[in-house]
Amino acid sequence: MSLLAPGTTAHHAPGSVDEMAELYRRLDADGTTTVVIGGGNHLGVGNPVLADVSVATEALDAIIDYQPDDLTLTVEAGVTMGAIDELLDPHRQTAALPETEPTATIGGVVAAGISGYRRSRFGPTRDRVLEVTVVTGDGRVVTGGARVVKNVSGYDLPRLATGSFGALGVIVSVCLKLWPEPESRATVRLDDPADADSLYRPLAVLETEEGAWAYLQGPASEVASSASIGIVQSDGFTWPTFDAPGTAEMRVPPALVPDAVQRLNVPFIAQHGVGIVAMATEDPDVLEPARSWCESVGGSLVVTSRSGPVDAAPSIDPWGTPPPAQSLQRRLIAAFDPRRIVNRGRLPGGI
Amino acid sequence: MSLVSDLIAVLGRDRVLDDRLDSWTYGKDAGVFRGEADVVVLPESTEEVAEIVRVAERHSTSIVPRGAGTGLAGGAVPVDRNVIVSMIRMNEITDVDPENRTAWVGPGVVNLDLSRHTEVHGLHFAPDPSSQSACTIGGNVGNNSGGPHCLAEGTTVNHVLAVEVVLAGGEVVTVGGGAPDPIGLDLRGILVGSEGTLGIVTKVLVKLTPNAPDVRTLLCAFDSVEDAARAVSGIIAAGVVPAALELMDQRMTEAVENWLKAGLPTDAAAILLAEVSGGTAAVKAEAAVIREVATSSGASSVSLAADEAERQILWKARKSAFGAVAQTAPDYYLHDTTVPRTRLVEAMTEAYAIGDKYDLVMMNVFHAGDGNLHPLMTFDASQPGSFERVRAAADEIVEMCVSKGGVLSGEHGIGKEKRDLMGLMFDAPALDAQARIKEAFDPGGLFNPHKILPQGSRCFDFGRTVPVPDGAWI
Ligand SMILES: Cc1cc2nc3c(=O)[nH]c(=O)nc-3n(C[C@H](O)[C@H](O)[C@H](O)COP(=O)(O)OP(=O)(O)OC[C@H]3O[C@@H](n4cnc5c(N)ncnc54)[C@H](O)[C@@H]3O)c2cc1C
Repeated sequence: MSLLAPGTTAHHAPGSVDEMAELYRRLDADGTTTVVIGGGNHLGVGNPVLADVSVATEALDAIIDYQPDDLTLTVEAGVTMGAIDELLDPHRQTAALPETEPTATIGGVVAAGISGYRRSRFGPTRDRVLEVTVVTGDGRVVTGGARVVKNVSGYDLPRLATGSFGALGVIVSVCLKLWPEPESRATVRLDDPADADSLYRPLAVLETEEGAWAYLQGPASEVASSASIGIVQSDGFTWPTFDAPGTAEMRVPPALVPDAVQRLNVPFIAQHGVGIVAMATEDPDVLEPARSWCESVGGSLVVTSRSGPVDAAPSIDPWGTPPPAQSLQRRLIAAFDPRRIVNRGRLPGGI
Repeated sequence: MSLVSDLIAVLGRDRVLDDRLDSWTYGKDAGVFRGEADVVVLPESTEEVAEIVRVAERHSTSIVPRGAGTGLAGGAVPVDRNVIVSMIRMNEITDVDPENRTAWVGPGVVNLDLSRHTEVHGLHFAPDPSSQSACTIGGNVGNNSGGPHCLAEGTTVNHVLAVEVVLAGGEVVTVGGGAPDPIGLDLRGILVGSEGTLGIVTKVLVKLTPNAPDVRTLLCAFDSVEDAARAVSGIIAAGVVPAALELMDQRMTEAVENWLKAGLPTDAAAILLAEVSGGTAAVKAEAAVIREVATSSGASSVSLAADEAERQILWKARKSAFGAVAQTAPDYYLHDTTVPRTRLVEAMTEAYAIGDKYDLVMMNVFHAGDGNLHPLMTFDASQPGSFERVRAAADEIVEMCVSKGGVLSGEHGIGKEKRDLMGLMFDAPALDAQARIKEAFDPGGLFNPHKILPQGSRCFDFGRTVPVPDGAWI
């Protein structure tokens, strides 16, 4: 499937890193602006990008290096969550990436800085990107980090690239830190999410308008003893999803999740202990006051998907108040994409 | 006005140190290099730090931020004549928030003091460098430091949610925050581990980790280092990521045992210290896996620390290993390369062979679970040529590790020590990109010059990458 982003006149899908670099050297010389497309799952995040051409990572779909005994996996950016799971499952390992988006590509997930539900145990995706290779806006091939689990050699380019929304260029490959899958799992229904407070670091505690669940994993004996806090619903994980065209996310200090939930009368998925409450709405009358509150407690409210064409003007600013150090962010971006041709304007503040 | 008098105008006479002895004292960290500072200042507030930055800029003098000076890569050592900004007086812990498990701390707070301070809430700061009773949070942030318990929990960057930083021009910004996934580029992520080359960190929002309800520590003895290293890979491959997995070879155990009498088996070629923590049932199950893998990898004995006192003494033994080396020789030198864990056995074997080739005494104590080696060579710096020999062996070890897919440093940083080795790991476009990051933050080259990046890193441009025809002279 080839996605042509709305408004663009041409579509490129280079099949190798060299081709991608060659393409960007040419586009940069011409000053042609581009929108980068992975699986197309997260195009609705951030400010709309009005670009001349679209560039896809779909043809960069190679598994570069899987080292099960080392718990590392290096893949090209177009490899999907589904493909990664398929590769790792027989080895009983996981990259702990978003659980409910099998068609999302790893490049897109890293560029958008998206994490799955298991982050209270394994950290956000950002903490598990060990190496990244980026084709910069002017067609340089830049690698940072390395394929080992502990490394402080040079500036942390993998962290800078994670959540950069293409501002440094096109992420063409990443190395991920993996974790072993546990012996046992359980999804446990709770009367009250606070019932999970007695547990030592559960994998996840989620709440929706339909109730609350604790997700447990580990040695069978541990899962069995912890599961007594509620009613076991399954010996696997069933993760909640939305079936809504427009969604947004409140991001607040973790202890404020119950407060956030109190404020809502739309369908939601709250991650207790993490500080994220996803909402199935794009109604500005709901989002604006929620945003004021999030920002007043040091957080943010971010639009995570929109109905209608992705190049249409959004009904609410996708990001809210931009973070500090805007000029520094601009200088950093200019170091990678001097003519600002990759996803121009997508970041907070229209950078 | 002179630099010193301008600084005195900001800080008063007491907090500006400029006699020869001071610049000598502050001219070194725990590594092997020495420099000499122009002047040392001791700010007590962010505003003072910002003012110091402006004064230094006015006098075209560069700045070296400094914590406790326990760094091993020369990060806090002045190269030119600089202003050393010692952050140790900014050591307040404020706003401990047990609900959100965070605290704002000054960069001068000593690592262990933070965990002691938050113990009443059942919380601790997870990164635990072996130097934790002396090193500061600012230094931990500077080097993105690790420690034995970073295997499961990750290094400092995973435990820092926000930093307040003074940038060039004396601009003060706070990046990151207490809510997840702050929007915009992750400037926090790039500042952590930047070794004082991008700005001065004046406040840190740390993430605190709940103390585990149960913990078990196993001491496994082996007849060969290779068997112990094989057990490490085996434990990871068996699906257990322990809280800590540390290896010590016989020479090191002997040195430690000689003064601490911790009960380490000195007849073993290597010992492995493995710790699991979590729920009681989980630690029991995981400890059983470790015991099994260690035994099948050839362990001659596996014992469990009987109580907290026994566990503490084992960790004291591990964490005081570098100190214990002092009985063997007056000086030591080590690198801290990381290799893929699957290549640990061969890397260890080859490191010993390099030590033998240079006729050096090598001891090993390291974060084996991460593949983070610390091959340590002892010497006597007063003997002419001895350090050169050690340095040559050490560089060869680094090259060997990088050739196995490893990296220059797993936790100590690049500093002054390894900057000229960066080319082993990074090609010209990668080094150039790093130099551009430095430039974006610090266009005037004010902060900690000559660290991390080798001279000439900022050299890559397309004009020069056009392929040169065969046989052409350039
Ligand atoms: C016996 C011993 C054991 C050790 N064990 C470990 C270990 O297990 N794991 C490990 O990772 N390291 C270890 N180290 C190395 C060292 O202790 C760590 O790197 C430590 O974090 C350094 O902290 P410090 O306060 O001494 O920093 P310093 O050495 O003073 O500075 C370190 C770097 O950070 C910069 N810096 C300091 N403060 C600031 C600030 N406020 N803003 C910006 N930059 C700043 C400095 O410029 C310098 O580049 C050990 C060292 C010794 C001597």
